Amino acid sequence: MIFFLLLLVLVVIAQIAEFFIPVLPWLYDAHVYIVPVIVFYGAMALPFPLMLALALCAGLLLDALTVQVIGGKVEISAGSSILLYGVLAGLMHGLRPLFARGHWEVHCILSGVGTSLIVLTQYLMIAFRRGSPIFTREVWWQIGGPGLIAMALAPIVFLFLQWMARMTGYSYVLERGRFE
Amino acid sequence: MSRANVIALLIFGAILGYFLSFGPESTRKFKAGVYQLLAPFLSRGSGLQKQITSVRTGLKSLEQMERENANLQVENRALRATNQALRDVEHEVNRMRHALNYRERSVFKLIAAEVITRDSSTWWRTVTINRGKRDGVEPDTPVVTDEGLIGKTTSVSDSISVVLLISDENCKLAASVEGSREQGIVSGERVTAGLNPSLDLNFLSKQADLKPGKKVYTSGMGGVFPSGLLIGAVKSFRIRELDGQAQLTPAVDLSHLEDVFVVTGRK
Repeated sequence: MIFFLLLLVLVVIAQIAEFFIPVLPWLYDAHVYIVPVIVFYGAMALPFPLMLALALCAGLLLDALTVQVIGGKVEISAGSSILLYGVLAGLMHGLRPLFARGHWEVHCILSGVGTSLIVLTQYLMIAFRRGSPIFTREVWWQIGGPGLIAMALAPIVFLFLQWMARMTGYSYVLERGRFE
Repeated sequence: MSRANVIALLIFGAILGYFLSFGPESTRKFKAGVYQLLAPFLSRGSGLQKQITSVRTGLKSLEQMERENANLQVENRALRATNQALRDVEHEVNRMRHALNYRERSVFKLIAAEVITRDSSTWWRTVTINRGKRDGVEPDTPVVTDEGLIGKTTSVSDSISVVLLISDENCKLAASVEGSREQGIVSGERVTAGLNPSLDLNFLSKQADLKPGKKVYTSGMGGVFPSGLLIGAVKSFRIRELDGQAQLTPAVDLSHLEDVFVVTGRK
């Protein structure tokens, strides 16, 4: 439980930090997203109910901080990010056995893919609402760039969270027997 | 699936359904509430970011000094550091004086505000300012600098507001071109690579033939933006199938926003 609460606090801190991390001009102004990596780690390390709770909080924050109400219209309805995080975290949760056996590489790659999927889904939602999905090189880089960055960040974030899990006495490895 | 998992899934579904049912007003309130909760952290983060930037600038000048003079003395270094700090103060004073002058000169009633964060999402161009309902800011209020228009407020909480920049595709405003009868709608581009994007002025007549450098102002139609606010200058003009379109360079450098003003009415 302590570890779950720590993850929650980290999600909030990371979400605030994202405001102050500049975009990467050499990657077509791609944003750096840390929250999805933390949520995806939580999806593998936490039991199902807590994983859902983490996805719920991260989705709520993302919705509250990004969704715009313009001229009395909501472009992406509140709750859509919760659903997105829920589904992606659920998929990652299904790969727990692999994670428990110490195969992190798949999850690092999937963290990147998941991050890009979140950005892509947001883009598709606004593009269809605005009436014209345009896919230029900039769009693809702004979708793929955050995923690549998340992929690169994932091992560091995972190692840090693993260390935190050890410090708080939390171990998903206790459940290892169930997967083997 | 265990019973606990099923219950968790049901609760998750119920909460999700609750949020999905939100209308625009509930979403705006929810957004304002969360921003209000995070306001102290965002303001503090902004201060911290400025300090870090200042330290980084200081380090850079130290490196340059080392290159220029390997035998730099400690006393000299201290003096330069003090000088740097004073320059920061001078810059701050100049900025404030400039802002104050503009507020006094302006024909609008203005509330001074400071930009505390830039957009954290890929698809919306926004900034957050440190003024909210408590200071008299309302949603859909124009925000300007002494150089021109930068956008309008969307979500407003007690002490913090989100400003949608004119470079966002969704921030549409009626505009007129100086020295002509041409009127059109200005909007940003959905995706831009580069910190200072162009704006599009659409629905011009095909005969408009606007020359680069012509200034574009808000026309006052639509109700949100008063007339006479400078938006930008014409960069190029092209004729499309049904209308003419001009590309504009924003009057304000949207990548370096520090002090802004919320327009609350005319004096």
